[in-house]
Amino acid sequence: MKRVFKLPSLSSMPPWFGLLVLEVVLIIGMSIIQPAFISSSNLSNIIRSAAIPIVLGIGMTFTILTAGIDLSVGSALAFTGILLSGFITHMPRFAAVLLTVIIVTAVVGGINGILIGKIGLNSFVITLGTLGIFRGISYLVTNGTTRTIDTGTLINTLGDGNWGPIPGPAVVVIVVALLSVWALRSTYFGRDVYAVGGNEFAARLAGVFTSRVKLTVYFISAALAALAGIMQVGRLQSAAPTAGAGIELTVVAGVLLGGTRLSGGVGSITGTVIGLLFLQTVSNSLTIQGVSSYWQQVVTGVLLGAAVLFDRIQVSYASRRKYREESNVTKE
Amino acid sequence: MTASVSMTNISKNFDAVRALQDVHIDLFPGEVHTVAGENGSGKSTLLKILAGVIKQDEGQILMDGTQVNFQGVRDSMAYGITLVSQELSLVPHLSVAENVFLGHNQTRNKLGIDWKDTDKRAVEFLKRLNLEVNPRAEVSTLPQHHQQMVEIARAIASNTKVLLLDEPTSSLAPKEVESLFAVVRQLRDEGVAVVMISHRMSEMLDISDRFTVLRDSKFIDTSTRAGVDENWLIDRMVLNKPKKAIHSTEELLKTEVVLEVKGMTDLFGAFQDVSFSLHKGEIVGLAGLAGAGRTELVEAIVGLHPRKAGDVIVEGVIVSHSTRATMNAGVVLVPDDRRAKSTIRDMSIRDNLLLSIHGRPQKQRSRRKEEKIVDEWVSKFKIKMSNPYAPISSLSGGNQQKVVIARCLETNPKVLILDEATRGIDLGAKAEIYQILRDLASKGLAILVVSSELSEIFEISDRVLVMHAGDLTANLARKDISESDVVSAATGVRT
Repeated sequence: MKRVFKLPSLSSMPPWFGLLVLEVVLIIGMSIIQPAFISSSNLSNIIRSAAIPIVLGIGMTFTILTAGIDLSVGSALAFTGILLSGFITHMPRFAAVLLTVIIVTAVVGGINGILIGKIGLNSFVITLGTLGIFRGISYLVTNGTTRTIDTGTLINTLGDGNWGPIPGPAVVVIVVALLSVWALRSTYFGRDVYAVGGNEFAARLAGVFTSRVKLTVYFISAALAALAGIMQVGRLQSAAPTAGAGIELTVVAGVLLGGTRLSGGVGSITGTVIGLLFLQTVSNSLTIQGVSSYWQQVVTGVLLGAAVLFDRIQVSYASRRKYREESNVTKE
Repeated sequence: MTASVSMTNISKNFDAVRALQDVHIDLFPGEVHTVAGENGSGKSTLLKILAGVIKQDEGQILMDGTQVNFQGVRDSMAYGITLVSQELSLVPHLSVAENVFLGHNQTRNKLGIDWKDTDKRAVEFLKRLNLEVNPRAEVSTLPQHHQQMVEIARAIASNTKVLLLDEPTSSLAPKEVESLFAVVRQLRDEGVAVVMISHRMSEMLDISDRFTVLRDSKFIDTSTRAGVDENWLIDRMVLNKPKKAIHSTEELLKTEVVLEVKGMTDLFGAFQDVSFSLHKGEIVGLAGLAGAGRTELVEAIVGLHPRKAGDVIVEGVIVSHSTRATMNAGVVLVPDDRRAKSTIRDMSIRDNLLLSIHGRPQKQRSRRKEEKIVDEWVSKFKIKMSNPYAPISSLSGGNQQKVVIARCLETNPKVLILDEATRGIDLGAKAEIYQILRDLASKGLAILVVSSELSEIFEISDRVLVMHAGDLTANLARKDISESDVVSAATGVRT
């Protein structure tokens, strides 16, 4: 008779649960070691710096859920700032913001979405291409210089200011996250996103318009990148062609850390928010302890590896249990 | 009576391969219609065309007398046609309920999808199939046969008028087949037209009201249940050909046993307790239907497929379960899928051919020696190519297969296993490969040929093994068998 170990049902926990525990442990630990960490100014600093990656990460979660990826978010962010700096001198601020967001969504989302969703090209290759294109255009237009922008209160609140007692970026994150959670959970489109990523053939056979679902997620990703671009301008009061360079990799790392699978079909917005918040907390903790910023990259890498390894162990444990159950069934 | 669906003059080619030629079929409401035929006769292609998954090259589809033109699955669904595909068509990480209602059939309220009600309705549909599972469970955690039921529940939930079932029973136990058939009968009585593909003779005869037989991509015959029995089906499914013996079997069985497989069972339930042996100089055919576990069996023998029990014994020595150990012991496999399993598409012919000898000592591997090896095989097997540095994908299928066989033989094997070695290969190259195999056997190599084509099995085998649903159901000397014996054993008919 084999002994059957009953692990506390790890598989019934959402995959981000462990990370949430780590985050809480890290916050408690850091506040004991370094009281300055828990100060309200530092905490709001963490939230402000995490907000932009989280907004990008939510868009990234949509694309990765369909088994795609959007590497162009960082350059779309920079392109947004440059475009805004051009429009803002010619029209009211609100109109400039709206026009910028619409153009970036239509152009970046359109190129990515049509080539990947409709024509079926590889998302990695295409968005690597758009990454280069919009970063390059941003440099060309500005000749490599940073433009200062008189942002006014609206844009400033989105990226940096306060909305009552709450940091503006936190409000943006909460609204975007809640809307996305709802869309993924309670709309046909949201369920189609999971279905396409989980088994595209099955989704097609069930009547899901798979190409349109894939097209839509790249529009969502571009729209959120544009929003993040506006927030960045609000934060820095300027638009730089270098803005958000390399941020797509941090964002992907956070999304994967939060339990979303690169192969598609599995993942959540909650996981992404926690994943990116955790990365930001770690980096803030290291900074506050005076650890070199070079180490932060090493730590991010190690965390990512550990998370994926942990996920694999959980999956293989679950599949082994499944085979055991199945062979029991056949024995009956 | 007007047919609710009528497909006429349907033809379909995949590149150069003909899948359907001028096939017609009528489907009536309130009838179960079985499409019968051997593997590769075009049955699945026919259903896929009707479901809008692929488009026919020629021919019309009429729905209640009006011509329709399906551009995709959504078009055919609009007419109430649902396909339960042979391939897994569930989304593994979504819940049972969600898979039942995949494709916008979930209940909605003001706030979006109403999960409580969706779950409740899923339970109701599954109850009709006698399946009680938690609707919230991830569907991939269910056993295979329950997953199959979830797919069928989806078809029922989408209010289908024409239900296409492509081998729905292949992973079901008899009891589950019963409950499935109860549902099929119920749907039929409600006026649904059900089309079924099955390879189990008794099931077909049990459930069907009408039969259509395809063979070699062509329409052969159609009849109502009254005129049909086992022999009627087998006669039409199998083209009988004259048979010729090559070796006398008694003579071969006297030679020594090279490979012995004992009590082999795999980890995933693809086959159970398979035992057989191969003699020196013998060509053994392994017949059976797709999904009978043949590929898994031969891959388990060479250490590719995980196994639970059993031994592989080469010349009296047990070989450990690893691909390298098996190859070193002298057993090599030519896999069934050239694209995915045996050729490296962009690598040269030369490098593909020499792939298996990379472990040899360095001094045996001079460039000149390697060129000589390649030249020898090219002239011996008459491999037609421009030069050995061209990518292997530039060769025809038959020549690619010769390169793979040469790679295997360069390891000096004692046993050569070929899995569907002539699939997608033209007739001339087929004949050449058969000749190569006969020459090799006459020099003492033991050969196991897995094939779904009966004509191939009969063309070259000295002995025939047949598998059905993971069991070895026949092990017959060449002179003792007819094609109907093989078909019976492969479809699980007791004779």
